[in-house]
Amino acid sequence: MSALTVARIDLKRLAVRPFAWTLAGIALAMMAWQFLLGVSAFMHAQPIVPGPASGPGFTDTVVAPYLLNFIQLCLVIAPLVTMQALAGTRGTRLALLSTSGASSAQIVLGKFAARLAFLWLLLLVVATVPLVLAGATHPDWGQFGAALIATALCVAALTAIGIACSAFAPEPALAATAALLIGEGLSLIDAGVRMAGGAGGWLGYLALHTHLAPALRGLVRSEDIVYFLIVIVLSLALAVRRITAERERC
Amino acid sequence: MTATPALLELASVSRRLSGRAVLHDVSFSLRRDDVVGLLGVNGAGKSTTLAVIAGVLSPDAGSVRIDGRVLDRTIRGRIGWVPENVPLWPELTVTEALDACVRLRGLPKAARATALARELSRLDLEGVARRLCGQLSLGQKRRVGLAQALLHEPDLLVLDEPGNGLDPMQAAQLRERIGRLARGRGVILSSHDLAEVEALCTRVVILHAGRVRYDAPLAGQCGQLEAQFRAIATQPADAAA
Repeated sequence: MSALTVARIDLKRLAVRPFAWTLAGIALAMMAWQFLLGVSAFMHAQPIVPGPASGPGFTDTVVAPYLLNFIQLCLVIAPLVTMQALAGTRGTRLALLSTSGASSAQIVLGKFAARLAFLWLLLLVVATVPLVLAGATHPDWGQFGAALIATALCVAALTAIGIACSAFAPEPALAATAALLIGEGLSLIDAGVRMAGGAGGWLGYLALHTHLAPALRGLVRSEDIVYFLIVIVLSLALAVRRITAERERC
Repeated sequence: MTATPALLELASVSRRLSGRAVLHDVSFSLRRDDVVGLLGVNGAGKSTTLAVIAGVLSPDAGSVRIDGRVLDRTIRGRIGWVPENVPLWPELTVTEALDACVRLRGLPKAARATALARELSRLDLEGVARRLCGQLSLGQKRRVGLAQALLHEPDLLVLDEPGNGLDPMQAAQLRERIGRLARGRGVILSSHDLAEVEALCTRVVILHAGRVRYDAPLAGQCGQLEAQFRAIATQPADAAA
């Protein structure tokens, strides 16, 4: 109940701030541009794509890269949305939540849920854009669904990382920088190995790309879902631990 | 005849902050209908004492008891705390902020509306109920803070510098409100203003360098308090040990 209340308060605060709307507006404009570029490239490639039955279709060439672009955008947006979640509520406001009966876990979960709701709402709007061409093309709904699930999980993982950074950093700007660095780190950690054409090993397991690529091709693997859940749970657990320690110390 | 336990009892409470001992062996008690004024110079440990009483900080040693029960998460629900800088959500209206607090307290749905209406009326906040908390004056913010602390009808009200920054008119109104709120519960407040303490409190506790240096009822001591306070406050910190 308290976690839901904290989430309601934070969603309301996000909704009345120009910052969140500006961020959403910029993100949607950029995604619309990316979609137009994708469709344009698809239209130009159409006459030279051989064999319509086996060749890459609309979902492969437009939707999957489009959702991947959204994830790359979220590497920046998620830290910005989460930076003030806990770093901005130090001192009395956190104490107010605590003395009102909310536990550290409820505070962290509530703040995570509010930010995730905002980013998933953005994802929902982004995901409806390719649907406008559903009548004119033949989307692979299975692949589309798999890509959407992986994108949603990846966004949740990035949000959780942002919340953890916000719990540890004293200032929102530091929290955003740390979350951005961790997100980019996870995104690029195996880039060198991939470019050399080798197997990723444990570096590859840590990389976001390893767990996104199968889903973007339409394959939902349990190990990928577990990876994202581990990142989410670990990040939130660290945030809860930090807030508990801070409440005790401050 | 068995004596009723004090509403609040601090027994040998010590607390360190950032490696520095802020409270040493602090002991005093408070009974229902008491208004206790906590006096002391800056850094004397007033806010830390109040934070320990409110359950925001736990003591390193000693105990805090409410009605004889050691302060824990359940007992914390019987305390209403208003810190010096009232924590408000500037993006929420007064009604939304109070509604959020009453939900956090876990009051049942039927009791929520009643509690909200009661506090809006009791603290004269009906006129600003739809205004954003960030747009309120300092006096109004203090009243919203008081309303937040009173929503669950606490037995003990803990107020950190309630009159700080208010003009004389607002301060007088706040004193009158606190006096009314003290009936049937206990109030402990910190202040720099001796006149405020003399006007409002039934007992005074003077802290100096984290130790209780004076603890006595206030009745019949008007005028003596300032002399007492000056004598304690001018002592070097190590003399308090």
